[in-house]
Amino acid sequence: MGRIAIITGAASGIGAACAQVLTGTGFTVVGLDLRQAGACARSMVVDVSDAQAVDAAFAAVERELGPIDAVVTAAGYYERIDILDLDEAAVDRMVAVVIDGTANACRSALRRMLSRGRGSICTIGSELGLCGDADAAHYAACKGAVHAMTKTIAREAAPMGVRVNCVAPGPTDTPLMTAEMRDPSYIASLILQRLVEPREIAAMVGFVLDADDHNLVGQIISPNAGAVV
Amino acid sequence: MTRTLTGIAGRVAMVTGAGQGIGRAIAERLAAEGARVVVNDLNPDTATEVAAAIGGIAVPFDCADRAGVQRGVRIAAEQVGPIELCVVNHAYMKMAPFVDEDPADWQRTIDVNLKGALWVLQTTARSMIAGGYGRIVCITSEWGITGWPQAGAYATSKGGIISLVRSAARALGPRGVIVNAIAPGVTITPQLQVDADAAGISYDEMVAVYSRDVPLGRLGQPADIAAVAAYLLSEPAGALVGQVISANGGSLT
Repeated sequence: MGRIAIITGAASGIGAACAQVLTGTGFTVVGLDLRQAGACARSMVVDVSDAQAVDAAFAAVERELGPIDAVVTAAGYYERIDILDLDEAAVDRMVAVVIDGTANACRSALRRMLSRGRGSICTIGSELGLCGDADAAHYAACKGAVHAMTKTIAREAAPMGVRVNCVAPGPTDTPLMTAEMRDPSYIASLILQRLVEPREIAAMVGFVLDADDHNLVGQIISPNAGAVV
Repeated sequence: MTRTLTGIAGRVAMVTGAGQGIGRAIAERLAAEGARVVVNDLNPDTATEVAAAIGGIAVPFDCADRAGVQRGVRIAAEQVGPIELCVVNHAYMKMAPFVDEDPADWQRTIDVNLKGALWVLQTTARSMIAGGYGRIVCITSEWGITGWPQAGAYATSKGGIISLVRSAARALGPRGVIVNAIAPGVTITPQLQVDADAAGISYDEMVAVYSRDVPLGRLGQPADIAAVAAYLLSEPAGALVGQVISANGGSLT
């Protein structure tokens, strides 16, 4: 019997790379995204900011495929807006997708995992949640919130047998990348003088999800090519 | 769960302080992943025993002795080739109240843990740069982040290692050598008996005291740390640089 994983934001970028890696290690991967997730065994069109829709998707997966072993919360988006120009709409949308979207998936996962006493969750934070971002304060703030949420959930869940950690990618070569991040002078500022590859984030996610291998709990691990040390 | 990580098999890996505890587990894990392991320890007997058990070579030396480190690394290279992966794990620890710290113990702790880490790091990094590839993992400690009563010298040296690792990562990353750290929480090793003796309680009581603050409900095992070390030395971990990974069951998040 194969293990079941749900990945939010699985249609592209880091989520899609995670789907590839988890599929390669024997997971049956279900992708939740606004679009069809091609890299997954199954794909469900769900807006992660809709708690009911997320929970219905989790329920359907358990009903049709079996208990969910692993969850990755990769749904998110990046946009640059000067802090003085941030309006309610821009902030609310970021909060809904990044904070609420992560919380919704974690809650739906924990409702099922805690009673079974097993399961593993990896949230996706951001290097910018560690160091801030002058051009995207709302994004950085929401990712910082995800980090703190992860630590809190991890402390609640670990005594009940469920593992929660966070991978906080640095500048990763995905569709979220802006032109500024491809600027040679920016890349030269990174210790490794290159961008992070999606497969490197996915490998890290695969490692932290494997709760039989290590005692990582509530950690924020940042493969970031040296953007934040 | 033992997996096969890419980028370790066939490479030469040195682990310092590998005669017991966490270092031994790392040496065992790297050997299981197919590395040619150089087993260092201050104690030649335990180094030889571990090397024999895992099919590696024993190269005992005192990491606090810079010339000794250079000689040991040279001997290892002559026997199995230049070191490409290195885990700086050795440590010295004696518990004492800060104000009553014996100057000799304080100096020995800094010499072995902090300066010793630098000597091993710079010596292996030099040959890694020459060879065009290198990964280094330094084992620091949760106490190097939080500090800890009765462990002032140890915590000081371990906090120093964290800053050393960040600096080394910045200095060496552009030259192809990637440096990271692991900060274990309290882990089941022979050191626990030393802690228990210092606290005047039994080993089991010591384990119970330390376990109280661990959300996972158990102390770390050397194999937990070895898994993280092996991952950091593997090829896909190459975007991690200058990071401190806390492997502690959630005691510090």
